Amino acid sequence: MQTKTVTAAKRGTWVQRFGRAFKNDWQIYLLLLPAMVMVFIFCYLPLYGIQIAFKDYKAVLGITGSPWVGLKNFTDFFSAYYFKRLLANTFLLNLYNLLWSFPVPILLAILLNQFERERFKKFTQTIIYVPHFISTVVMAGMLYLFLSPTNGMVNHLITALGGESIYFMVEPGWFRTLFIATDIWQHAGWNTILYIATLTGIDPGLYEAATIDGASKLQKILHIEIPHLLPIAVMMLILNCGSLLASNTDKALLMQTSGNMATSDIIGVYVYTMGLGKAQFSYTTAIGLSINVINFATIMLVNWISRKLSNTSLF
Amino acid sequence: MPTTKRKVQKSMGDKVFDICNMIFWIIFLIIIIYPLWLIIIASVSDPDAVIAGEVLLWPKDFSMMGYEAVFEHQELLRSYLNSIFYTLAGTALSVVVTLMAAYSLTRKFSGKAFVNMYFVFTMFFTGGLIPQFLMNRSLGLYDTVLLMIIINCVSVWNLMVARTYISTNIPDDLYEAAMIDGADHITYFVKVVLPLSGMIVAVLCVYYGVSRWNDYFTALVYIRDRAKLPLQTVLREILATLTTSTSSDSFFSAYADNIQGMTEAIRKAEVAKYCCIVVSTGPAVLLYVFMQKYFVKGVMIGSLKG
Repeated sequence: MQTKTVTAAKRGTWVQRFGRAFKNDWQIYLLLLPAMVMVFIFCYLPLYGIQIAFKDYKAVLGITGSPWVGLKNFTDFFSAYYFKRLLANTFLLNLYNLLWSFPVPILLAILLNQFERERFKKFTQTIIYVPHFISTVVMAGMLYLFLSPTNGMVNHLITALGGESIYFMVEPGWFRTLFIATDIWQHAGWNTILYIATLTGIDPGLYEAATIDGASKLQKILHIEIPHLLPIAVMMLILNCGSLLASNTDKALLMQTSGNMATSDIIGVYVYTMGLGKAQFSYTTAIGLSINVINFATIMLVNWISRKLSNTSLF
Repeated sequence: MPTTKRKVQKSMGDKVFDICNMIFWIIFLIIIIYPLWLIIIASVSDPDAVIAGEVLLWPKDFSMMGYEAVFEHQELLRSYLNSIFYTLAGTALSVVVTLMAAYSLTRKFSGKAFVNMYFVFTMFFTGGLIPQFLMNRSLGLYDTVLLMIIINCVSVWNLMVARTYISTNIPDDLYEAAMIDGADHITYFVKVVLPLSGMIVAVLCVYYGVSRWNDYFTALVYIRDRAKLPLQTVLREILATLTTSTSSDSFFSAYADNIQGMTEAIRKAEVAKYCCIVVSTGPAVLLYVFMQKYFVKGVMIGSLKG
């Protein structure tokens, strides 16, 4: 085994060191190559294209040929009359979603863990994971079918009880509720996996000791399970904070109708319709870049705060 | 001293808790299952009953009309085959590429810090939809089958999960032993790591596979040739748009020539939507149910360490 030598002279020039490294590890580099190439094509090449946020991109001129306009695209966006609505819609949707959907998997995991019979536990788990595999298209399709004002089950129930049909998919007031409720219905079950895994890792001795001390189930939950789940939950929370201005474009695009635009118009959908639909490439790239930077700054900030407060952090 | 198994007496509080817990779960399971059950029974019911909201617990006036319409829908069937191909090819590629890189990241080598940064950086900064679109277009990938297979080939998140799995589950002793025997990295990877990676392979297959099968957006952005469309993108036109469009028109096309035919077609179209859902989601769900014992454990481990 070669020992690492001390003097720079002995280590040789950059080229020599590269040559040595290559000889030892060429197979590693080979195994890494496909992944790095793929990531290069789909992640780094687009970064080159980000410069059009600072330009006035015209397809005929290409990326390098288009003229620089500095921060014009950004100032245009921040001063647009619809800017506040886009920002509010995006942020509020994510905030409410976080508030409502975040606790559910934790709660479910704790309750599920209380079952003594393994068979019922396994059976329940199988069932609650199923909706996660339904595609967003089918989920939206289910919404359109069940909530249809004329044919939908829900409105049949409402009219049978004497009410009037509600046009769920067209009224802005319903968009967020439906969006978040279906998120929970679809993914809360699957998201328990992380927490259940944590709970199964708890030392059974703790439970036994608690039982001997006469603890009730509720007390065990409060004093054993929740403290164990807290670090993981905080980490997931930090991760989620980093995407408070992100857009679940896939889902919002499907659920958006001309009627509910007031709440459903989020940044991601705007970028899609304006960028690809109306070819406003530079403008929407600037928007995307701003959001990216803000999200990054937020996650760094939240991480720092968490580290100062409780020593738990992602990095 | 032999320990005797005694049945511990449960306190009153615990008994109440257990009953409430059971009730909660029964309600929750009904909330999960009922919409899915409703779709299944509506798909085999008479269209009029479905539209009138009479289908509640059981199929009413059993009818396979909806399924007939689905299996006559050429574009839908072709997109189904497309999706199967894209998903299988794309997932196979993703899993192989990811595993190779994950293994590499468990070894020490010159430049490892750089490579780590290279991957992790992309988790924080992405070009975004438009730059990616422009670059892919300039590479000639627009409207190609190749793009559908290779796009987003590597998810750095999955890569990290796989790397952690390999580094914790395949002990270095095996590596040392193999090196002493004169094996090189590739041999070790193929002969030792891969056979022991069954669980992470299953997990990666599920993550990548489901993601590809359910994706409608990529083709919406990049594909113009309707013959190349995957299932979900076609389904979107049928299920998730309030206005009629090319694909939902197909359900009407056979009856377009007279009023009575039109009404008949509209009747069928509603039930056909339920059948579309069953046909597109059914296989995925069944596959999950049968395979779940293989990958759920892996997902648990992966999510903890990842």
